[in-house]
Amino acid sequence: MIRESDDVIVKTLARLLVPFIVVYALYVVMHGHYSPGGGFQGGVILAASFVLLCITHGLGKTRKRMSEKLAEVIGSIGVFIYGGIGALCLILGGNYLDYSKLSKILHVTPAEARSLGILGVEIGVALAVMAVMCVVFFAIYTVGESPEDDRSVK
Amino acid sequence: MTQFFLILGVGMCVLVLLCLYRATYGPTILNRAAGISAIGTKTLIILLLMGVIYDRIDMFIDISMVYALLNFIGTVVLAKYLERTGEA
Repeated sequence: MIRESDDVIVKTLARLLVPFIVVYALYVVMHGHYSPGGGFQGGVILAASFVLLCITHGLGKTRKRMSEKLAEVIGSIGVFIYGGIGALCLILGGNYLDYSKLSKILHVTPAEARSLGILGVEIGVALAVMAVMCVVFFAIYTVGESPEDDRSVK
Repeated sequence: MTQFFLILGVGMCVLVLLCLYRATYGPTILNRAAGISAIGTKTLIILLLMGVIYDRIDMFIDISMVYALLNFIGTVVLAKYLERTGEA
């Protein structure tokens, strides 16, 4: 179990840095189709904020904000957003992830519908990547403490 | 001017190799940590120089900021590991 760091500098720096990391991750997700980045990169930066929180403020305080169960739910929601937008295009008469067909329900031109569709898919990817990264990090960090591990030792 | 930044970038790459030597053959783990941090900082500068050379600095600033951020988190994780194992 990772204990809470008792160093004031590290804790204060992390507390100041985490909000900016989250804002920057949202910027990377939103500007994914203009600049480098996108759903995956933004999700990884979001997960990095939780990693920083975990190593400076301990696993207990991090679990209050992002538990494994919540991460699994968020990951499923992200995959659902991605697959849902793809299937919606399929239902509206286009190919899978053919965003221009979304213009029928969004009441915008097909070009604008493409931009919005990509944004929606990227938000879904970012949520899924963030949740899965958090689950993987927690699993690596708590190795040797889970009940399955105890059984395998015996 | 592009020539100047190109030469600057090549010089940075040579410095990265020197840091890589320290990170590979460093006698203690603290030498390796310092070498890895220096490589991260130099990579950031090389990225920005590439942005100036290709005249797309607005794109490369995004990448370099992410790189700086992950470099910082990596250093903190390494420090945490050293704190736990007590090896220095």
